[in-house]
Amino acid sequence: MYRSLVALLLTLSATSAHAGEVRVFAAASLARPFQGIELGAEHELRFNFAGSQQLALQLSQGAKADVFASADERWMDDVRDRDLVAGEPRAFARNRMIVVVPAANPGRIESLADLARTGVKLVLAADEVPAGRYSREVLRRLSGDAALGADFDRRVLANVVSNEENVTAVVTRVQLGEADAGMVYASDVAPALRERVRVLEIPAGVNVEARYFVAVLAGAPNPSGARAVVDWLLSPAGQKLLVDAGFSPAP
Amino acid sequence: MRSSPFTRAGLGAVFAVYALLLGLPLAALLLRLPPAAVLRALADPMVLEALRLSLLTALAATVAIAAIGTPMALLLATREFAGKRVVEVLIDLPIVLPPTVAGTALLLAFGRAGLVGGWLAEAGIALPFTTAAVILAQVFVAAPFYVNAARAGFESVETRYLEAAATLRASPARTFLTVVLPLSLPSLLAGTAMSAARALGEFGATIVFAGNFPGVTQTMPLAVYVALHADLEAAVALSILLLAVSLALLAALRLAQRRGR
Repeated sequence: MYRSLVALLLTLSATSAHAGEVRVFAAASLARPFQGIELGAEHELRFNFAGSQQLALQLSQGAKADVFASADERWMDDVRDRDLVAGEPRAFARNRMIVVVPAANPGRIESLADLARTGVKLVLAADEVPAGRYSREVLRRLSGDAALGADFDRRVLANVVSNEENVTAVVTRVQLGEADAGMVYASDVAPALRERVRVLEIPAGVNVEARYFVAVLAGAPNPSGARAVVDWLLSPAGQKLLVDAGFSPAP
Repeated sequence: MRSSPFTRAGLGAVFAVYALLLGLPLAALLLRLPPAAVLRALADPMVLEALRLSLLTALAATVAIAAIGTPMALLLATREFAGKRVVEVLIDLPIVLPPTVAGTALLLAFGRAGLVGGWLAEAGIALPFTTAAVILAQVFVAAPFYVNAARAGFESVETRYLEAAATLRASPARTFLTVVLPLSLPSLLAGTAMSAARALGEFGATIVFAGNFPGVTQTMPLAVYVALHADLEAAVALSILLLAVSLALLAALRLAQRRGR
């Protein structure tokens, strides 16, 4: 019995990937489009979707992976500074921030100015998450608009009721109608969601441009598989997939 | 104990497995930071705010659990009724339910768009994103630990004491207060400490149902998780503090139980 128990434990703890497996660590906002990556039968994709910062932490703690796709430059740099990246990271997509409100619009949010009204329940991604930093940056820039007022960002931030640990949680809060409004990536409003939420665009002049970076990791168990993923993302087919999902194409 | 099946080698193996499984991760946590760095991190207002909120909500949840759990435990210990087995299973359910599932269920019940949340909202009560939601989540996940311990305590009171009280014409309420309660006090204390510790460590149901906002819903476990994104050292310091508070709670329980005997 002991022998079979030990054998079981060894099987469970075995980390050696079988040939052809490509392990992709990707930002949570990439979960939907990345399911559509088509590489052919010789590559079997395995995904780990989480906040970019969380993936960076996992990689720095020794997690084995082939590809890292980050929702911003900061966490890609963090991983590169630890000598975990092979070659140069490539920017493969861009994203912008939007405001979403539930279809029923319980907070009566008709314009960006309404976000500052007292009593509005706003949900943002936490400051540590790229989407959270972008949200706050957009609000800061909007404060330069005389019509909204110089203290616009302060008044809006006073309405924040929760800092979510990843951007998809913000979408969920709004979709459930728990929050009056939230700030998310344009790509977060999946086609299935378009009936449940209303979108308020943020003027391009004050919006941020989130750049998504992808890199082959140093010590990748499957470097050729990793390069295939990076090349595919930058190919016309990959770019079309990303644009269809609401992203902007590679710069 | 003499008839214990353990050989000396067997005992050693048992201790070694536990040392690896429980001791090693705890030691790793403690060895990661010098004490000075822990103290420095504890001076951070965010940490103090989270600690204050954690203690406050866990205390409120524990009081609420004792208030609703004691009658339920007494009922289960002393009465037979139709559907008792079902009630027992339901009471135990939060122990095995993943806390994020508990949080989702609470949200779908008490959220603004939830089953009864809509009525609550009309009455001007909004639970999500409030400290009350944190307490509700803690009560949900921690209550079984108290109810089970209290029930075992009530069941262990020998009937001859109850019969003696009855011969002395003590009212049921008086019997409960002067006989049952003192005799089952060690069990009640054990249940209180276990549920308080569980409430203190609550994470999944809280972040799903109550959200994450400093000073309002960001308890210690949530602060650890958020800090893990940005600053590993702060997360470790917070974890050590949480560990110390939990240990102090369990130690206090042991002490109180010994006194109670």
